Amino acid sequence: MNAILEALDRYAHWAARWPVLAALAPFVPVVALWWGVAAAGVFPRAFFPAPPDVLQSFLTLTYKGILPAYLEDSIGRLAAGVSVGILLGIPLGILVGLSGVARKALWPVLLFFQAIGDIAWLPLLLIWFGFGLGTMTFVIVYTVIFPVVINTALGVRSIPPELVRAAQSLGAPRWRILTDVILPGALPNIMTGLRNGLGYGWRALIAAEIIVGTSGIGFLMFDARRAGSAVEIVLGMIVLGLLWYIVDAWILAPIERATGQRWGLVTRA
Amino acid sequence: MKSLTLRNLHKTYFDPAVGTRVTAIQDVSLEIGPGEFVAVVGPAGCGKSTILNMVAGFLPATRGDIIVGDRPVKGPGRDRGVVFQNFALLPWKTVIDNVGFGLKMRGIAKPERDRIAMEFLELAGLSHAAERYPNELSGGMQQRAGVVRALANEPDVLLMDEPFASVDAQTRMTLQEELMRIWGERRHTVLFITHDVGEAVFLADRVVVLSKGHVLREIPITIPRPRG
Ligand SMILES: Nc1ncnc2c1ncn2[C@@H]1O[C@H](COP(=O)(O)OP(=O)(O)O)[C@@H](O)[C@H]1O
Ligand SMILES: [Mg+2]
Repeated sequence: MNAILEALDRYAHWAARWPVLAALAPFVPVVALWWGVAAAGVFPRAFFPAPPDVLQSFLTLTYKGILPAYLEDSIGRLAAGVSVGILLGIPLGILVGLSGVARKALWPVLLFFQAIGDIAWLPLLLIWFGFGLGTMTFVIVYTVIFPVVINTALGVRSIPPELVRAAQSLGAPRWRILTDVILPGALPNIMTGLRNGLGYGWRALIAAEIIVGTSGIGFLMFDARRAGSAVEIVLGMIVLGLLWYIVDAWILAPIERATGQRWGLVTRA
Repeated sequence: MKSLTLRNLHKTYFDPAVGTRVTAIQDVSLEIGPGEFVAVVGPAGCGKSTILNMVAGFLPATRGDIIVGDRPVKGPGRDRGVVFQNFALLPWKTVIDNVGFGLKMRGIAKPERDRIAMEFLELAGLSHAAERYPNELSGGMQQRAGVVRALANEPDVLLMDEPFASVDAQTRMTLQEELMRIWGERRHTVLFITHDVGEAVFLADRVVVLSKGHVLREIPITIPRPRG
């Protein structure tokens, strides 16, 4: 028992010193299990590839330039859709959060369209935009915008009225109330909306690429299915997971640490 | 410093959910001279905050006039500095940026407003905490920052709504003494709200007793300062 505690203690020290390795360490047993099952030959190799097969496929596709090109396409589409979603969603969320009239008018509409779901739009979008960037962007914007609008509105409504009053009494004009009170006050919720929106948007993108795509990670996986290549499908899954981890650990989490957590508005995870 | 005049002030709240009217303030008149410190005291729910919020311009009066110097009040403005019970510091700004916020709104450049804000932080014994965020400060320190934030903006009138009600008794006494020291140097016109009669008598030139929305009586406090 003591030995286990000691080992855990040593692991904690080591993890604090090497955060990147600490993030990878939990995957060691997962990969080991995967490798073990594959090596035991329970399933045919073509259906259940082992880690070296996937690594081999990664190297080949990277060398041929397919993987980098597809990755670039997927990330580019996501970035375009998410940017439009944020640029539309944050102002709309602030409007809904600040104005009771706007809230009463827009809330039912928001809930209605949110319920339809992105993929349900695809048949119609294909008629309108065809198999192209228009369709993909629409789907991503559609998925991103609802969590951003709803969380931004919640964030605005959560700001204590006294903060607005304090700023007014110090001589702040309306636009300053917006930039110095409303926006920072709603930021933790906006980040939550963004986090959800990115997650949904990413999934919507893969689905859209599978259905309408001619490139991208989703297309890679679906194309591999046609060719019966399980190894490329597994590679695609791993790439998706890694990308999400990178977005979260390198972009979202640092922003949250520097803002809401620093200001004492949200507790540390 | 300017005078603050309330003339035949009325306030009726209308609650659309219940459909009833509540008369919170009934014919309140009050004259606070330039540099005078007036405390309004009364039990919870007697209408103290309603008066202060109307003077601050946060709430419209149902009837009556509020005049600062010779200008009628229309909405919030920097001529009336407000100190809130729960401090109302902006959590995303450091202490020095909170204190310099009013100066920033007046278009004063960063180095100059930092210099002025630092002077006021020194006045409150807070210069060591200038770069901290409000959530890293104790309640007493936050309210010191809240007071000098209002002062740094050079208001004509200082409005304080139970400013020391949410700190512990020990800190409250220190804050009261510090407020007296600062007021003694600068002589602001002050409207101070409290439910604590002892606090009112310790601080004010005149105590106004409020009951159920109207003035019960006004008592001049002639005890020489400093009071103990
Ligand atoms: N927004 C409001 N709507 C309806 N009634 C209110 C509102 N604000 C205060 N009141 C009522 O007005 C009276 C005075 O409230 P307030 O000025 O906050 O008292 P105090 O600050 O002395 O405790 C109370 O009866 C309170 O319930
Ligand atoms: Mg009150």
